[in-house]
Amino acid sequence: MSDSFSLPLRPRLDRPDPPDPLPLEIAQINAQWGSFRHVSEDFLRHRIADQSDDASEDHDESPTEVDTTERLDQLYRKRAEITQFAHQAHMEALFALDFVSLLISHHAPRQAETSMSAYLKQVAPMGSLTPEVVDPPPKPDAVRRDTAAVARGWRLQNFHSAANKLLTAATRLESEVAAETRYWNEVLSIQHQGWKVCRLPRDRQALGVQYGFLEATPIFRDRGLASLRRADDGSLLLDQGLVPQKARRVRVRVKTAGRWTGASRTPPPSTSDPDAIEARIRQARDTVYEEELFHEMMREARILAPHGVTTRQNLVRVPVSDEQEIWLDLVDTDGEAPPPPADDGPPAPADDDRLADALAHALRILLTHAHRQNRHRREQPPPPLTPRRRHTPEYHLLRPLLAGLQHRAHVRALEAVLRDLHRVRRAAGLAGDGTVTPFASVRPPAPHPGLPTVESLVRSLLRPLESTLGGPLAAPQASVHVTVRTAITGPPGGTVFDLAVHLPAFPDVQPPARIALRSEVEAVLSHVLLLDVVAAVAAAPATAPGRRWEPAAPHHGELVTAGGSSAAQNRKLTIHLSRDGLRVEAVAVGGLDPFGRPMPDPTATPSSRTWTAESTGPGLLEFVGEVSRE
Amino acid sequence: MHELLLFASVPAHQHHELLQQLAGLTAMQPRHRLERRLIFKAYRKPGLINTRVGASQDLQGNEMQRLNKMLNGGMFYTQVVGPLDESDFGLNRSSAGDPDAAMSGTEELPTNGPTYSYENQPWKLEFRDIPEAGTRSAVTARLMASSSLPKGDISTPMTAWGYSFVSEYVVEGDIFVLDDIVIFLHRVLNYPTEPQSHEPRRELPPLSDMVLLERSGSYVLQASITVQDGGNQEMMKTASQHLFGLREQLKSAVRLEQADRLSLDTRAK
Repeated sequence: MSDSFSLPLRPRLDRPDPPDPLPLEIAQINAQWGSFRHVSEDFLRHRIADQSDDASEDHDESPTEVDTTERLDQLYRKRAEITQFAHQAHMEALFALDFVSLLISHHAPRQAETSMSAYLKQVAPMGSLTPEVVDPPPKPDAVRRDTAAVARGWRLQNFHSAANKLLTAATRLESEVAAETRYWNEVLSIQHQGWKVCRLPRDRQALGVQYGFLEATPIFRDRGLASLRRADDGSLLLDQGLVPQKARRVRVRVKTAGRWTGASRTPPPSTSDPDAIEARIRQARDTVYEEELFHEMMREARILAPHGVTTRQNLVRVPVSDEQEIWLDLVDTDGEAPPPPADDGPPAPADDDRLADALAHALRILLTHAHRQNRHRREQPPPPLTPRRRHTPEYHLLRPLLAGLQHRAHVRALEAVLRDLHRVRRAAGLAGDGTVTPFASVRPPAPHPGLPTVESLVRSLLRPLESTLGGPLAAPQASVHVTVRTAITGPPGGTVFDLAVHLPAFPDVQPPARIALRSEVEAVLSHVLLLDVVAAVAAAPATAPGRRWEPAAPHHGELVTAGGSSAAQNRKLTIHLSRDGLRVEAVAVGGLDPFGRPMPDPTATPSSRTWTAESTGPGLLEFVGEVSRE
Repeated sequence: MHELLLFASVPAHQHHELLQQLAGLTAMQPRHRLERRLIFKAYRKPGLINTRVGASQDLQGNEMQRLNKMLNGGMFYTQVVGPLDESDFGLNRSSAGDPDAAMSGTEELPTNGPTYSYENQPWKLEFRDIPEAGTRSAVTARLMASSSLPKGDISTPMTAWGYSFVSEYVVEGDIFVLDDIVIFLHRVLNYPTEPQSHEPRRELPPLSDMVLLERSGSYVLQASITVQDGGNQEMMKTASQHLFGLREQLKSAVRLEQADRLSLDTRAK
């Protein structure tokens, strides 16, 4: 509406003063500079030199160095001057007041008395001065014209200055309006992008944007609010207070045998312009999340100290196995540490990079899950107030990772043992197979009413982990199965192995329930497989008539042929099974020891055979057949 | 346990707006709550001998004194509260379709009968004392206790414990939690018909048939905070300060104030 309406602010000069006529100007110059006759080149040079001297003197004066005492002196002098002026002004004002009071004391004595000074009251009686209107003598025309001209000049000058002030005010307002518009547009665009814009609780005049997480620990929750200040040109400034503005993130690194073998990657920035306000808010949010993550990890790491987790000021070290360690630290995103120094060893496997990445993602997912749990807890009716402060339990961040890594290590080790043993046995021509179902307990969750899929998914990862491995063996109907269980919430390091052994030949052989040490499980596994070899040999169809192998000391891998007409005709077979190979010794039996056990004949030469994983050729049963035919 | 309370009356037209405000304040979605509340009155069983032997020759032991006090103390009304679901209420006849439609349709329509199972209804006993008198603080404070009860038919055990059934009603509302404060915005619904027998109903009428106790449909806003140890003055003070903080925050929306003590009198005369 104001577009079409314009107001002329500067006074219009109706009749500009005509330029002075030439004779007048010549007269003026004559009066000022003297006659034209005296103007010569020398004279002019002299004048110019004088002027430049003046100018340089002026110029020199200003930057003269004044030392502190002098400056102080100057300051005092100026101050005294100011005070003096103020006093003077005060005195003059008092005089004026007295004068006016005395003047009106004739008409309103009571009122005048209050404003009169005591001295005046003593000196001058009340009502002793009275004004009267007099007709001033008529002024001459010339004086009146002068006065009018001067008044007109003053008025014009005042109009000019008023117009100038108004115009500068208008320009200032205009730029202000433009800045405000820009500011509000940016605020609106932030809000359209889905950020929560609100008034600051402390500073009610300012706007803030909330990017933090409501369910975080209070110190981090309160940091999730930054005020949106306006720069002079109207652009938006994100004011986070005293918090450093650096972007930081949690870095996961894998160290194997003293060398860096993997590190998590920094996600690329999501927007191209890092200075855009949107990107800045996003970065602030990410940083506050990462710092909270690290804080919570530290808290949890402290209670995990008995399990070898160590903390430094800015570092958490989690041992996974004897030679592998996970290092977690908080680093600046921009000041990214250089890639781990290239050792002279072989290049690090990408596997560990992937592992580090997976761990980094898992940590973040678990923190979000903890936030969700917090929200659930907050929405429940609270327990009654008690003087004791409620302790916030540490989140499950490192413990699930630790359990998962440990579980994985155990399953892999057992798998390797089982695979090696089976390879040796297969080379010796024995059937049997071992299959591994890692993380059998982790499966897609069934949809649960009232529980979001995300939560049930994460919850299924927080349940005890379970893997199974095992399979059928060589002897008929024999099988072995190992169940590996790792609890996450219980004491970490709590991996329990359950073995289920089915050996029809040795129904009494049962492993202890719930073995806690992997080395013991490995021993039991190889023992069971040895028993199976013994059972397989015993169950093999007899090649020579009447020569059947019977287990004599199956737990030591010993078999003898029974049914020979004399003890000397019998043979004894000793089987050794390990991850490296299967070794069989056959020897003729010389007699019986005092316990009635067959003794090897010291005179006979034992024949033996060894199979390794790479062996080919005749198998164990063929060898046994040969031996029994002898 | 002690309970500190502040109440406010919320007109029906403000209800929706207040729900939004509370959701913003507490940063949570309202949790809808339907409760059926049975009122029981304690009575003294006839035949209970009140042996009051005077004089000092019969000095009573401490235990005996306590027992006597319990037996002869004041009698109170108590409430038995059972959570409900909207599906527990009978279906509305108009929405269930007329019988002709059911006959012509081939598909099986859900039966008209309510799904409410009285036998599986969980219960909770809620005892509330008369608010404390003479407290200078501007909140209602009273002794309270709650405990779980067996499921199903509740009148038999309650009768056995010396309570008689008085009446029942339904409470409908939404719950918010703000730190330690539970905010319950609710209103009371009465049953449309008088019961035939003098015991809790086994079937519930359609929810839409329930009659509002307050005809205008206004709600009651109740802010409560429980304190474990009512004797701990410090805790009681903290709790009332929390409530006052809430009152300040809600000042522009509703006026939370103390309730009239005698209107919350639970003593049975």
